[in-house]
Amino acid sequence: MDFSSSVASQLHAGTILPEGIVIITLMTILVGDLIFGRSSSRWLPYVAMFGLFNSIVALFFQWNNPNAIAFLGSFSGDNLSIVFRGIVVLSAMVTIPMSIRYIQQSGTSLAEFIAIMLTATTGGMFLCGANELTMVFISLEMLSISSYLMTGYMKRDPRSNEAALKYLLIGAASSAIFLYGMSLLYGLSGGETNLNIIATKITAINGTQSLGLAISLVFIIAGIAFKISAVPFHQWTPDVYEGSPTPVVAFLSVGSKAAGFALAIRLLVTAFGSMTEQWHFIFTALAILSMVLGNVVALAQTSIKRMLAYSSIAQAGFVMIGLIAGTDNGYSSMIFYLFIYLFMNLGAFTCIILFSLRTGTDQISEYAGLYQKDPLLTLCLSICLLSLGGIPPMAGFFGKIYLFWAGWQAGLYGLVLLGLITSVISIYYYIRVVKMMVVKEPQEMSESVKNYPAINWKLAGMRPLQASLIFATVVTSLAGILSNPLFTLSANSVNSTPILRSAIITQEITQSTIQVSSVEDLIN
Amino acid sequence: MLSALIIIPFVSAAIIGLTPLSGKNPRNFAILTAAIILTINLFVCLQFDFQHQGIQFAQDVAWIEWIGLNYHVGIDGLSFPLILLNSLLTLIAILATSPTIQRPRLYYAMLFLLNAGAVGAFLAQDLLLFFLFYELEIVPLYFLIAIWGGTRRGYAAMKFLLYTALSGILVLASFLGLVWLTGETTFDYEILRSHTLPLASQLWLLAPLLIGVFIKIPIFPFHTWLPDAHVEASTPISVLLAGVLLKLGTYALLRFGVGLFLEGWVYLAPWLAVLAGISALYGASCAIAQRDMKKVVAYSSIAHMAYILLAATATTRLSMTAAVFQMVSHGLISAFLFLLVGMVYQKTGSRDVDYLRGLLNPERGLPVTGGLMILGVMASSGLPGMVGFISEFLVFRGSFPIFPIPTLMCLVGTGLTAVYFLLVINKVFFGRLTENLAQLPPVQWKEHAPAFVLLLLIVAFGIKPDWVTHWSEVQAIALLTGG
Amino acid sequence: MQLEYFLLLAAALFCIGIYGLITSRNAVRVLMSIELMLNAVNLNLVGFSNYLDPENIRGQVFTVFVITVAAAEAAVGLAIVLAIYRNRNTIDMEQFNLLKW
Repeated sequence: MDFSSSVASQLHAGTILPEGIVIITLMTILVGDLIFGRSSSRWLPYVAMFGLFNSIVALFFQWNNPNAIAFLGSFSGDNLSIVFRGIVVLSAMVTIPMSIRYIQQSGTSLAEFIAIMLTATTGGMFLCGANELTMVFISLEMLSISSYLMTGYMKRDPRSNEAALKYLLIGAASSAIFLYGMSLLYGLSGGETNLNIIATKITAINGTQSLGLAISLVFIIAGIAFKISAVPFHQWTPDVYEGSPTPVVAFLSVGSKAAGFALAIRLLVTAFGSMTEQWHFIFTALAILSMVLGNVVALAQTSIKRMLAYSSIAQAGFVMIGLIAGTDNGYSSMIFYLFIYLFMNLGAFTCIILFSLRTGTDQISEYAGLYQKDPLLTLCLSICLLSLGGIPPMAGFFGKIYLFWAGWQAGLYGLVLLGLITSVISIYYYIRVVKMMVVKEPQEMSESVKNYPAINWKLAGMRPLQASLIFATVVTSLAGILSNPLFTLSANSVNSTPILRSAIITQEITQSTIQVSSVEDLIN
Repeated sequence: MLSALIIIPFVSAAIIGLTPLSGKNPRNFAILTAAIILTINLFVCLQFDFQHQGIQFAQDVAWIEWIGLNYHVGIDGLSFPLILLNSLLTLIAILATSPTIQRPRLYYAMLFLLNAGAVGAFLAQDLLLFFLFYELEIVPLYFLIAIWGGTRRGYAAMKFLLYTALSGILVLASFLGLVWLTGETTFDYEILRSHTLPLASQLWLLAPLLIGVFIKIPIFPFHTWLPDAHVEASTPISVLLAGVLLKLGTYALLRFGVGLFLEGWVYLAPWLAVLAGISALYGASCAIAQRDMKKVVAYSSIAHMAYILLAATATTRLSMTAAVFQMVSHGLISAFLFLLVGMVYQKTGSRDVDYLRGLLNPERGLPVTGGLMILGVMASSGLPGMVGFISEFLVFRGSFPIFPIPTLMCLVGTGLTAVYFLLVINKVFFGRLTENLAQLPPVQWKEHAPAFVLLLLIVAFGIKPDWVTHWSEVQAIALLTGG
Repeated sequence: MQLEYFLLLAAALFCIGIYGLITSRNAVRVLMSIELMLNAVNLNLVGFSNYLDPENIRGQVFTVFVITVAAAEAAVGLAIVLAIYRNRNTIDMEQFNLLKW
């Protein structure tokens, strides 16, 4: 029929090919598990990784896709979304080999876990490109609900249950608040759901001053801040990090957070383009709180997972500097940092998984003297933690420099100085763990390390763990020194994304006037 | 060629750290590598053009374009003496390390990382590159203090780490501000020097740089980490800390403080000179009150580092040369003193001035160590014929016409140097050897070899000071004229 | 009937939901409060859609999605509550204090 073919040609369904691949992989995993039963867990993870890898390849070929706007404006496959989808897929792909041994040792079904993880990945990917309110909501919930399930995956562990319940209740409440904000946005724009049209309608109807719009902005930011765990919407983070299975935490800390940032950029820059000043103000407050509270509370933690939870809150604060900067460099420094954060954080979590597999504990004090027993683990964890702390020449240093540099160029001096000072604080707690492992004498060794089992990589599921550990560590140590390709990637994605182009141009005009006046102030 | 000075220590750190060398191999390998590095240095030294203004052996490769970070290295008369000093003291520190040290592989790997960080910072002609190496050196030194230090090593190491990290952040803030205000997109030193900013913005940028650098040097009242770090660190680490790492601070002071913000520097100079005077007096008076020999040397270090600040404030050709000279001389003398204090501690198990007595006893004491110590004290308090005299004379000669009062304060500090060191010498080496100190293990000549090398240099430079001064004379002018 | 009445009703429902969320100690009641908040959103959407967007009725479509997702969320939520009840024999929020800093 004529009608259907014309619609089909406008859909550009090929744009979601990467998601399609992930969904097919998901189906394969489910069906494979049903047909072959438990024995399939030997090869299913590799199927999943293969599928995710193909998805990355598909993303690669979609670069500069001419038909970026798919499904009549619901989904945008522009380069920005490609990069963020890449981060989400990559984080799932690195997380799966970490989880094989962990899940098997806990005696639960691996295939189901991977299936839920892939669902979350699909949700995260759709969220990165969602360009329409319904789409945003559905993909957000797809990511959230599968995250709740993964958090509570250890059914018999009351801590996992409790973490899942807390996560679910806070998450559902925040998504209800987010949704309320979206419903107001729908009404204020006169019944539009496409973000771009909303933006034009809102400026046409309301101008920039409207109480309803302000309320909707605050509500929507509350929902986003929950996803990226910015203070004061962070309360779930430490509990969930501590209670849930460590591979899940690794995925949440990177994949889910990256999707949240993608959502933040798209929603705020397009739909709230007319209220840039207001949301910059709110995010400045969130960034200050996150950096200060995250870094300071992390000092007091005794469990390494909880410490990394607060560290991830603080890192979100750093990334927000790029968002607030709102320049080319600002956005591309966010992407750059998230890439680097992916590897260093996943590397750190791999080490934690390995340690807890061998000793069954996550207490920082139990790491004492690990250097004597397991030099490889010590080296990798030290590199990843030092990188998180921003010590050169590790990748994290370059990521942070770039963020601060972008923020400084955009005139956020106070924020950058605060970031610099809090990153000195953060060095303290990262190095505390390193000190525990390296500095302690043999006689100060903890009980767990004394009873450390012989290192055996032959056990089922240990090889992939080792591979992802070494991969993450090598990338963490080299990505900074050889960072030009990564930088080009993130800069290109920002440069070639239409929604950011228009936003940046208006931004730059105001920025340059501010800069000129502030330079004059300084000179006089 | 210069890159080899950075790459070799990195590679050897990796080799020592990651390959299963055992027994004495790590130590031998470390000595070999350090000797190679020193040889390369001497080779560079032969080709160095003393009349050349500006940097030599430059190498400029774009590294990370997006923030304007270039791998731009080079040497001039300001940095090369310090690089030589660094290589020499690294070798001496390795030789002074006990062959039976715990965890030798980690130790030597960290030592080479430290060396690489310091050399890189001295070589860097790009502000961000300097900052990168400046930060890089923190972590190895942290471990060197925290693992092989004394009883309160954890505390001292953490204090060092936080202070120095803060210092790095302040320096970075100043650099970022400079690049922003000049409107450049690169951190290259020469390019940034060609801009002259208005005085007000220079002062804004100079303030964080100065505080950051004062922490590192250290200048009163930012000095509190240093006595702790010195007391807890083992002897070779103290040697490196006093000899090389503190010089990073004064080097940054001259290179960036004077070099980039000359106008602002001159504006602040009177106040800084007074601060230098206070710091010198404070260091000297604290040294008098100490009971721990190592603390005496540490506080004397604070006093002597203040002279460099004093010389730098005067901003004359003579005083700039004097500042470099004082850096070299302090590097040699304090390293020498730390080695000897370390020797006394190793043999007697104590550094307590009240406990030690009569160590100069030729039969059962430590006569050679004592003799060397007396020479070291003479050098430190500026007796003619040794390097300390020349450097202090140059400093005071250079700064007296410009800032008489602060110079007088520093002169009093020099007088006090003789007081506190003679007090120490008198108590520790003279008098009757007490019974509980009798039958000390004899010191072998091999153990004293590093100290003798340093002594030789101290005397040689004292007699032929132009061996040091002609390095930096040309560059001193360049720094002041903006050439 | 004016649009404002619908919006006011929705806002009131939303506030009741938030009140219930904050004060309830029973986990199931918290879940119910969240449902209340979602229903307030639905009311908002339907109201807007009726008055502002009668041709495309995007809001009403959105509402269908919200109801579906809310059902899924409630299902997962109740499953988790069930799991925690099996382990701990309680669904009192104050009792869940294994995780704290």
